[in-house]
Amino acid sequence: MLSSKNVYPPLINRIMGVWWRHMKVYTKNLFSNGFPPFIEPLIFLLGMGLGLGAQIKLDAFDASSYVAFLAPGLLMTTAMFTAAYECSFGTFIRLEFDHVYDGMIGAPMTAGNLLVGEILWVGTKGFFFSSAVLLVVSLFGVVSTPLALFAPFSGFLTGLMFGALSLFITSFVKTINHFNFYFTGLLSPMFFFSGVVFPVSKLPAGLKEAAEIFPLTHTVRISQALCFDKLSFELLYDFLYITLFVVIVTCLAVIRLKKRIID
Amino acid sequence: MENARQVLSTCMGKLVFFCMYLPNPATMKYFIWTMKKTIIEAKNIFKSYDEVKAVVGLSFSVESSKCFGFLGPNGAGKTTMMKMLYAKALRDKHHESELSVLGFDPENHELEIKARTGIVPQEDNLDVELDVMQNLLIYARFYHIRKKEAVKRIGELLEFMELGDKKKAPIRALSGGMKRRLLIARALINNPELLILDEPTTGLDPQVRQLIWDKLRLLKQQGVTILLTTHYMEEAFQIADTILIMDKGKKLIEGNPVTLLKENMEPYVLEIIDKKEASKVKGNGKSGVRHEDAGERVLYYSKNVNELKKMAGKLLPGTHHIRESNLEDLFLRTTGRKLNAVQ
Ligand SMILES: Nc1ncnc2c1ncn2[C@@H]1O[C@H](COP(=O)(O)OP(=O)(O)OP(=O)(O)O)[C@@H](O)[C@H]1O
Ligand SMILES: [Mg+2]
Repeated sequence: MLSSKNVYPPLINRIMGVWWRHMKVYTKNLFSNGFPPFIEPLIFLLGMGLGLGAQIKLDAFDASSYVAFLAPGLLMTTAMFTAAYECSFGTFIRLEFDHVYDGMIGAPMTAGNLLVGEILWVGTKGFFFSSAVLLVVSLFGVVSTPLALFAPFSGFLTGLMFGALSLFITSFVKTINHFNFYFTGLLSPMFFFSGVVFPVSKLPAGLKEAAEIFPLTHTVRISQALCFDKLSFELLYDFLYITLFVVIVTCLAVIRLKKRIID
Repeated sequence: MENARQVLSTCMGKLVFFCMYLPNPATMKYFIWTMKKTIIEAKNIFKSYDEVKAVVGLSFSVESSKCFGFLGPNGAGKTTMMKMLYAKALRDKHHESELSVLGFDPENHELEIKARTGIVPQEDNLDVELDVMQNLLIYARFYHIRKKEAVKRIGELLEFMELGDKKKAPIRALSGGMKRRLLIARALINNPELLILDEPTTGLDPQVRQLIWDKLRLLKQQGVTILLTTHYMEEAFQIADTILIMDKGKKLIEGNPVTLLKENMEPYVLEIIDKKEASKVKGNGKSGVRHEDAGERVLYYSKNVNELKKMAGKLLPGTHHIRESNLEDLFLRTTGRKLNAVQ
């Protein structure tokens, strides 16, 4: 018998219950799920870094090699894509096809608890994925400062931002193919114009300002500061952006998606 | 000698305790209250989806440790009503509406209600990415039940639902009946006071259906209040203390199934399955025999079975039979014999 039948679990346990569910599903196929974050950056670095990097003049990049420049950004884009996939295609399937949310919502948790738990999980996944990339790039010998060990925390923030954003996008999506617009229309440009493959400061006017609107720019900046050992107070502005983005977009996503979970 | 004295003194203690507490009016009152308390009180509930009026001014109340059954054709609004009880659906704002489940309004106390309720939905929503054991373990975690306790309870529940050997099975490998039983096991994980089952036995074979009925009766004996929807009249007859027949969101009739049948239906019916044949007895509108047209069949209801036998004598063998009237007759009579647009 439950000793305290009248009480429902406290907020943190409700949210962590959801987190735990996702963690269990993910680690169930640890081998096949855990492989990509190690292999993908390896292919990318070999392709871009060794091929293209050899042809690039380094003056513009302020780094020891092109691969070294790419590394911190790659930590963030990996976190971005995993969070985006999980909270777009993944969420849509759980919501519309598998009815997983319908099952979960029968237990003592609100739709809000469920979605916040999901965002927290993709934050965690962002942390794990950027850790994996960090490990791979360390093998290339392109990161040397111990500060770089904190870069996965920026991956966590990237996960939160893109988890919330993807949930918000999902709330508009009626058929699963619509996500193609999100990936090619929004995430791909972010990949190229957020300081990952090219410094924001060297972008033409107009694009430079636009880059500040992109959420990815801010976590890439934090990641680069950590990997290149260049911490500054200006990063507080990036943290402020990230905090506001996560809070506001999470609220919007919860308000909109709630209507699809509750009839 | 010493032992005997000890036994005697414990017995005396128990007796004194018993005498002091039992006749205490306050205790008795509480005892009676717990026996009779109302678990669900719904008054004038409305719910519409855009143009569709799913539930229209529905009222009912469910008492503790009783089984309450909802019947009604497809699209009657049964599922919608169930969902509103645990805030899976939000009822319309209406000044006359009142809803209380376990003493709470689902609109602003969904967590209190869900913590003490078990839910078996109409559509299976087991977590297909996990196996049987993991499904239940995760669900136990949602209730914040400790792992050790959860494992023990899950073992008991799987035995109870006769799924003991399926612990490691993936959800996709389960048959429809197994999934249904697993959903019931999942709904019981928090020792609920209230169990809401939306068509628990639809599509199941007679063995599984009987098993589920047995288990539900057992739960009722243990004090669990059960709310269920069903399309099987037999099911309602077997386990429901009260049934409510609804259609197009409205209540048509409510009461104890046996009483309802007795009060609303003649006990015997002559069922003629050949319309042409039936014309032979058409003119015989004898007093006490009620005639009902049902598509290709014709039914004659009566209190007097001999009257029906006399009529049957005029018919060719194999075109008719006489039977006792049942809940299905009552259902069809109250909800109408033709399909409507929303079914
Ligand atoms: N999410 C929804 N959106 C729009 N309409 C809905 C929704 N859910 C139910 N309805 C409509 O509400 C009405 C009642 O449906 P409900 O599912 O409650 O019926 P039911 O009695 O459970 O039927 P069944 O016996 O087929 O399960 C139907 O007309 C249905 O089309
Ligand atoms: Mg239904």
